[in-house]
Amino acid sequence: MKNTFLAVVMGALLVLGFVPTGHAEVGVTDTEIHIGQWSPQTGPAAPWGAVARGTDAYFKWINANGGIHGRKLIHHYFDDAYNPAKTIAGVKQLQEQTGMFAWVSGVGTACGLAVKDYLMEREIPWVGPSAGSRHWVTPPQKHLFNVYPLYLGDAQLLTEYAVTEMDKKRIAVVYQEDDYGKQGLEGAQHVLEQHGMELAAKVPVSISDTDMRPHTMKLRQAEADAVLVFVTPGHVARLLGTGKAMNFEPQWMSTTTCGDFPLMIAITKGLYEGVITASFGMAQPTGNVGGIEHINNPNHELMAKYKTEVYDAFAAADERWGYTFTTGIGLAEPLVEAIRRAGRDLTREKLVAELEKMENFQGLMGRITYGPYDPDDPLCRIGQQEIFLQQCTADGGSKILTDWQTTEFIPMSQ
Amino acid sequence: MIDFVQMTVSGIAVGSAYALMALGMVLIYKASEVPNFVQGEMALLPVFIAYMLIYSYGQSVFTAFVGALAFAMFLGCFLEFAVVRRAKNPNILGLIIITIGLEMVLLGFVSWKFGADQRVMPFPISSYSSVMFGNVYISTLDLLTLVAALVIMVSLFLFFRFSRLGVAMKATQQNETAARLMGIRTNRVKMITWGISATVGTVAGLLLAPVFMEPYMMWDPMLKGFAAAVIGGMTSLPGAVFGAYIVGIVEHLFGGYVSMEYKAVVAFAVIVIVLCVKPSGLFARHYVKKV
Repeated sequence: MKNTFLAVVMGALLVLGFVPTGHAEVGVTDTEIHIGQWSPQTGPAAPWGAVARGTDAYFKWINANGGIHGRKLIHHYFDDAYNPAKTIAGVKQLQEQTGMFAWVSGVGTACGLAVKDYLMEREIPWVGPSAGSRHWVTPPQKHLFNVYPLYLGDAQLLTEYAVTEMDKKRIAVVYQEDDYGKQGLEGAQHVLEQHGMELAAKVPVSISDTDMRPHTMKLRQAEADAVLVFVTPGHVARLLGTGKAMNFEPQWMSTTTCGDFPLMIAITKGLYEGVITASFGMAQPTGNVGGIEHINNPNHELMAKYKTEVYDAFAAADERWGYTFTTGIGLAEPLVEAIRRAGRDLTREKLVAELEKMENFQGLMGRITYGPYDPDDPLCRIGQQEIFLQQCTADGGSKILTDWQTTEFIPMSQ
Repeated sequence: MIDFVQMTVSGIAVGSAYALMALGMVLIYKASEVPNFVQGEMALLPVFIAYMLIYSYGQSVFTAFVGALAFAMFLGCFLEFAVVRRAKNPNILGLIIITIGLEMVLLGFVSWKFGADQRVMPFPISSYSSVMFGNVYISTLDLLTLVAALVIMVSLFLFFRFSRLGVAMKATQQNETAARLMGIRTNRVKMITWGISATVGTVAGLLLAPVFMEPYMMWDPMLKGFAAAVIGGMTSLPGAVFGAYIVGIVEHLFGGYVSMEYKAVVAFAVIVIVLCVKPSGLFARHYVKKV
């Protein structure tokens, strides 16, 4: 009799919306906000796992400072080993068993594509996929907010700089055979066409390739004087080493993905000096063109603050303070800011509304702007479109070569 | 023509690393008749041990490399003694699964202990210097790998032909029961074979590590070494080396003249062709077991 009475009362409370958590939104309780993320902690892409660990330390720092409107951010990240099948299994499990309010970052285009429809069909916000893919905004999705500048933009800016500032005549592209590499190839070709030029060579690299001799030979045969590389840091290291051994030393240029200069200097034994890469933040180029940034002693105020307050206090002892780690913070900042702006009465609808109102928001990355949802306008969800160029110094520092440059969005050809 | 010669030379250069892996695989196949998929990781762990000796214990490169080779010998012996030998009535499939399991355990251990960060091994010879023969180049590290592969092949040949242990290994491989009846401690022979195999693989690992180190660094060389061993016939040391150079050269010529996209998989197409034409491999000799 007592149990029946209790059940009736609980049922009535549920019907009336007075659930014990006091909040109706999935993943939000009186004291907690549950955020999900996937990343490769094992497998060949494990070096990118630092993105999730950066986000994790950032959330711990926020919680240690009182959380957001009295709620702690509960970060659930899992290892998908860069395997899309594991990504979708893990996302479904966390979403359906624990209930995430939103998802943040998530490394890899293929992994993200595996769960994109699942999240969007359920209208679950996903902010800052950790890959510069056009798929995030083609077509734009109401609940998917891109942060990472597209690789297309990296290629445009690098090619433009090589042609106009460095007077390079024979530009070649080495590209990974996936979305990342092919976007780089397309962006470079787009700019060269505008200048009435053609690629000197386009050399594909399979992700499993460890021998870069044939690739380097192709580049040497083409007499390339500037080479844009859209591959992994490991492949870049092998390419530069093989090129050096072959006495082939063009101007090497690469993307944000290979912009962790201290790491690149270490794994190339210094060969990375002089390499130019695109960068999406972690430094302030405005008023600082020609200046040199060092990640271990950053001039960027926010970087310096995160180093002491987030990394030193909350990262694991063996974690490396590097750009991959800080990218995990930069990609999560817009989500955190939108949660803050949404106030205590947090819902997904309010979160999306606040993100849409975001204009020129700047944390560690460049300026981020969204707009009201328009299914025909990819720019309403593109987030950051500006990047700058930097050049690696002998000690792994970043010499700033340009101010922020806004890149052109090139629609995906059908 | 220069391009053709350069591609061939580069193919031989990369084939040398494959040859060392293939030699290791053939040694174990000769002793245990199992395709050893833990070959790469038996080299990986000692390479990371060498790295640790240099950076955590301040040892010289020479000391660290000697330590790594000694550890490899121990590791190979240990795996045979502690795991492979314990398999009850093992068939080939069971042994293959055991080696795959060991591969995952060792790979997981290296990833956990040393992390996934990329790094490079210090080495007395610069991995970026090269020797030019006219317009054809070969890096000095490649040249060293080539010499190491040939020296190890010749040493193993002499070892099997003239040393008591080598002859005992051959006898164990040809007829284990008869060898045991002749007083050969076949279990010990197999254990030492695993140790030697791990040591040979580690030489390859130590020569690859100055260019690039990460937990997955031995995966591709192991697969290509396996392809080379199959082409050579799995039981022939010269066959393994020959197969490795075939794989290396074909890869490079295919990448240069046909398709860079499919360069990485052409080795396996070569395996299929060889197995169709000569199923026992190019160099294999059959020992017919008489009833």
